[in-house]
Amino acid sequence: MSEKALKKDLLEEKIKQVKPEDLVKALQVFRDKLSQEYAAYLNSCVHCGLCADSCHYFLADKDVQSLPAYKLNLAQGIFKKYFSFVGKNIPGWTGAKEFNQAMVKEWVDSLFGRCTMCGRCSLNCSLGINIHLLIRKARSALASIGVVPPGLQSTVDTALEKGNNMGIPRKDWIETVEWLEEELQDEVGDKQARLPMDKKGARIFYAINPREPMFFPLSILAVGKILYAAGESWTLSSDNYDVTNYGYFAGNDEAAATMSRRLVQSMEKLGCKTLVLAECGHGFSSARWEAPEWLNKKHDFEVKSILEIVADYIRQGRIKLDPSRNSEPVTLHDPCNQVRLGGIVEEQRFTLKHAVSHFIEMKPNREKNFCCGGGGGQLAMTRFSQKRLQVGQIKADQIRKTGAKIVAAPCHNCIDQLMELNKHYKLGVEAMTICEIAAVALIIN
Amino acid sequence: MPFIEVKGKKIEVNEEGFLANHEDWAKEVAELIAKEEGIENLTDDHWAVINYIRNYYLEKKLAPMVRKLCKNTGFQLRYIFELFPSGPARGACKVAGLPKPDGCV
Repeated sequence: MSEKALKKDLLEEKIKQVKPEDLVKALQVFRDKLSQEYAAYLNSCVHCGLCADSCHYFLADKDVQSLPAYKLNLAQGIFKKYFSFVGKNIPGWTGAKEFNQAMVKEWVDSLFGRCTMCGRCSLNCSLGINIHLLIRKARSALASIGVVPPGLQSTVDTALEKGNNMGIPRKDWIETVEWLEEELQDEVGDKQARLPMDKKGARIFYAINPREPMFFPLSILAVGKILYAAGESWTLSSDNYDVTNYGYFAGNDEAAATMSRRLVQSMEKLGCKTLVLAECGHGFSSARWEAPEWLNKKHDFEVKSILEIVADYIRQGRIKLDPSRNSEPVTLHDPCNQVRLGGIVEEQRFTLKHAVSHFIEMKPNREKNFCCGGGGGQLAMTRFSQKRLQVGQIKADQIRKTGAKIVAAPCHNCIDQLMELNKHYKLGVEAMTICEIAAVALIIN
Repeated sequence: MPFIEVKGKKIEVNEEGFLANHEDWAKEVAELIAKEEGIENLTDDHWAVINYIRNYYLEKKLAPMVRKLCKNTGFQLRYIFELFPSGPARGACKVAGLPKPDGCV
């Protein structure tokens, strides 16, 4: 295939080439992924409609296809048709649906195209159905036959082939860290300041998002500055350092396991006690909560978000912040995978309250916060980008109402979407990570 | 697929305005994409960034790391963000005609 053809979105052609045996395979994968608990969920929806107002897609476009219950029903219909007694024999009674090319297309458009797997519907479901995880299981069925929107698939492929999701060559990564180390030394006025690489026996191994060294290195510098000020024993790794895991969004458990295993390998290589994850929503829920499942093995080390580490430094008096250095009003976006699905809720607030002089909560917030619209792999799936901007209006309105000039977001993926929303909805704000904001306020003795 | 029109010629872009085929790039194409990014006039400094990224990509089929961009243009990182408010990926690489990078962008 020529490079030219590779750049095009060939998904429609791919769907047309789906053969009956592919459909059988996808169905089997779908069934295999459903534990008893999840099979019960697929028989539980009573169409109460409470999920409607929980979903930023439905709130933005009022289209029935955006209803979480509608999306769930697509998966339910297939389950009933092929795996339930009544559905097999009297399909009309149960809403059973045929799994064919048209249904594959509908799954792609709805389950990839109209869902960020943010979990807000699951939280609001009157029966406690884990809707977003069922959607992920349906994505797994599609992934098993190679039907994944191209940008998302290529991000998975690049990570698998090149070791990180942006394909950064090892030498470039190392040189970038050396360059940042010089910047750090200038900023703190200490020629001994380090961004340690492959330092065996350090307490912390810090895993980063490839987007940082590639395009946004100031976030690494900010964390380096904080760790320097705290006198932390830490290290980066020259390989297996990517905190992201797009296998999670693609529904590809094997790829997800490979990516999770890499961080475990770095922990073993370096002999560190704590794996600390950069500000990355899905990277956090992947490494902390999902990885033991994918790897079928409990971690024998601690996994923490950098947000927990920084909040601890402040509590312990290991770093001092001067909030007057961040005098513009700041609001906070809660990334779904870090907060609602990840459980890191108060640490970022605690840090911001010490780092800025004017902090305003957007509403709703914490576990009830709305998705930015860029989650679930949406940012990578160009074909749905207009929809992504449209449904981001909910977030844009939330931000505008706060009157803030800076939106803090502990997730690089969210930050990119927030920057897009800023441009599209003319919000006049800047998006920053928590550590970038804290580093501005950091007092270096 | 959507397209943009330059000098009467239709040029394919993706849904986010990145060129579908990087061979379609030309000075006028860059100027048009820049306008859509809110950059009215491309200065010599813009061109220094664009040309470096483009030549790097043609040689290596990769976007350059921002470190190389700074080193080879002699510009500070913050200045590159001033030149291209959408940042190096969605701003500079897009104007230079590169495909959309993988990852969280």
